Amino acid sequence: MTLHLIQLAVHNIRSRRTRSWLTILGVLIGVTAVVALLSIGTGVEKAVLQEFKDIGYDIIVIAPGGAARAAVQGAAGPQLMMGDGPPDLATPAGSATSSQTRTFTPGQIGAATGAGDTIERTFSPGQIGATASTPATRAATTVDTEALLANVPGLLEAGNLGTRIVSVETPAASGFLRLTTPSLAFLRSFPSTLGGFAIGEGTTFTTTAENEVVIGARSAESLGVAVGDSVTIDGATFEVVGILAPSKSAASGETERSRTTQNGTARALTGSGSGASFLTRGMTNTDDSLFVLDERATSVWSGATTNATTIVRMATGVDVAAVMANISTELTAQNVRGTPVSVQQIAGSIQGTLGMIETVLASIAAVALIVGGVGLMNTMYTAVLERTREIGILKAIGARDSHVMALFLIDSGLMGFIGGTLGLALGGVLSVLGTRLLGPTLGVGTFAPSFGAGLIVGALVASFVVGALSGAWPAWRASRLNPVEALASE
Amino acid sequence: MITFQDVHKTYWMGETRVDALRGVTVELPAQRLAVIMGPSGSGKSTFLHLAGCLDVPTSGRVVCTGTDLGRLTSRERAEFRARAVGFVFQKFNLIPNLSAARNVELPMLLRNQPTPEARKRALDALAAVDLADRANHRPAKLSGGEQQRVAIARALVNDPELILADEPTGNLDTKTGLRILAMLRGLVEQGKTVVVVTHNPEIAESADALVVLRDGAVESFATTGGRDRR
Repeated sequence: MTLHLIQLAVHNIRSRRTRSWLTILGVLIGVTAVVALLSIGTGVEKAVLQEFKDIGYDIIVIAPGGAARAAVQGAAGPQLMMGDGPPDLATPAGSATSSQTRTFTPGQIGAATGAGDTIERTFSPGQIGATASTPATRAATTVDTEALLANVPGLLEAGNLGTRIVSVETPAASGFLRLTTPSLAFLRSFPSTLGGFAIGEGTTFTTTAENEVVIGARSAESLGVAVGDSVTIDGATFEVVGILAPSKSAASGETERSRTTQNGTARALTGSGSGASFLTRGMTNTDDSLFVLDERATSVWSGATTNATTIVRMATGVDVAAVMANISTELTAQNVRGTPVSVQQIAGSIQGTLGMIETVLASIAAVALIVGGVGLMNTMYTAVLERTREIGILKAIGARDSHVMALFLIDSGLMGFIGGTLGLALGGVLSVLGTRLLGPTLGVGTFAPSFGAGLIVGALVASFVVGALSGAWPAWRASRLNPVEALASE
Repeated sequence: MITFQDVHKTYWMGETRVDALRGVTVELPAQRLAVIMGPSGSGKSTFLHLAGCLDVPTSGRVVCTGTDLGRLTSRERAEFRARAVGFVFQKFNLIPNLSAARNVELPMLLRNQPTPEARKRALDALAAVDLADRANHRPAKLSGGEQQRVAIARALVNDPELILADEPTGNLDTKTGLRILAMLRGLVEQGKTVVVVTHNPEIAESADALVVLRDGAVESFATTGGRDRR
């Protein structure tokens, strides 16, 4: 019987083609919205959590002045970095006097060298060549990682990574560039954060006693320097000992630049086993940066604001809360303003936020689905009015109330189901396209939308239920019609 | 076969109370052609609806081959209609978006007949009313006479004892009407009980029993008596 009723319902749907499709369209839009938003939302969440997993939940980040969250924000959207773009850097010295505000003229650099940098206000020429900074100066800005490891139980490794903008001068070009200052310990423990710090030409740092600089591939190109050349950085002369191999994103061409570079970098890092890519993404654009050892930088520019982030790896199985408390105590003891944030905390708070956004989006999508359901109800109600006579005929030839009810329920449920199936497919396509589009914009790199079995089955069942529920009342009305009155209707 | 015992039927059309039947007592003979006549509003159609279990009397009893139709539940009435009654209407009342064959199949499908068997019997029923070649046409593609023959095929397909026809020739020209009438006559000869509501005196002439209703009551009842055509 049910099969016959389904055949009849299909017949009804097909014989009212235009209206059926319009009704199905209503459901389709709702399901599409729900599926697309949920799969994208889940996909974002998965991608973000995967990044945290890549970083490792055993990582604690300490940023001076509690700025660890700044790095997180950097991950949520592309950061505007001075000196980030090669066009600025590639500007030849001769044309540097143009309106580009980021470009230094050689004359200005010369002035800065002579009289103190007006931008890097802590620069002091007298400190050039100083062999070591006093401990007091150093402790004020940067965590002493050795002391930290010694005094806080449960820590395995720690390293500092500073970043700031510096003026750079070579015979061929000059400008502002980002200077990244990893400590030796950092390079040893967390090289993946810097794309593995793979050297393309020359060597890595050989000593902390000499002014050595390693240059990112694109920076080297735009500055026109090779291994062995000299570069003036904030007034101090450094020898180029190595040039980094281009990162994967740089290798994939200039077109991918613009806004996606940092995500591209993150992807490259993830691909190479990754480290704290998510947190330190702002620092990990290795193509457009100069690298000087933290130990050297602090001695050359003692007192400069290095804005160093300390990354610490905990031993497995330690009490995170206790470690965090101990770190805070140690920071106080070192007279460093900094807030330790564990990756777990960050992940937790981001996950919470994402979950909330997801819920809001899903609610909005659900409204679309409900509207589709109301449209379906309207169609079914009209159909009952239109088909009153038909209902009378069915009853006259022996259809029970339940048959009539089932007929209308299957009719509406089927339309819901068709809408759901098509919506699922369309939502899938949209979310795949959407993630391609959204990934870079959100700064989470490329990620795949997530289609769990629950989402698929849920969408299909929900659309059928919405269809059947919307049809329930009209169907009930239809089944209760008095056959004589129904037959008498026109 | 069908017995009406002091049957009253009252219904409301909006605010208006309609006393369609006011104490009808009549017994229609089995396996005969009974004709119900009367002016408009005399209660002919209501009489037929009660006989066919489409409706229940307000008071009184309608008994069909021993079954008190007024005591049946909605579901049992549906079952009774499916099993024991075939309706033929003035307006044919075919389902417009189904082919002739599908229309004829429908009563069997509602009784859970397997589809292939239902299809075969539907085609046989259509062949019996000379419409085998029209099986796949929709009602709109058929003439009035053809539609009424499809309706008769549909009424017969479950092999009911009782055929109820409400003005079956009302929408047809005389010649086609006569053909339909001949078919109904033929059904009586096959042992069916046929009740026809009509204005058409020609049908009344060939009736085995004639009930004339006026204002919801039996004005006259006559049987031509003993005319056994079997």
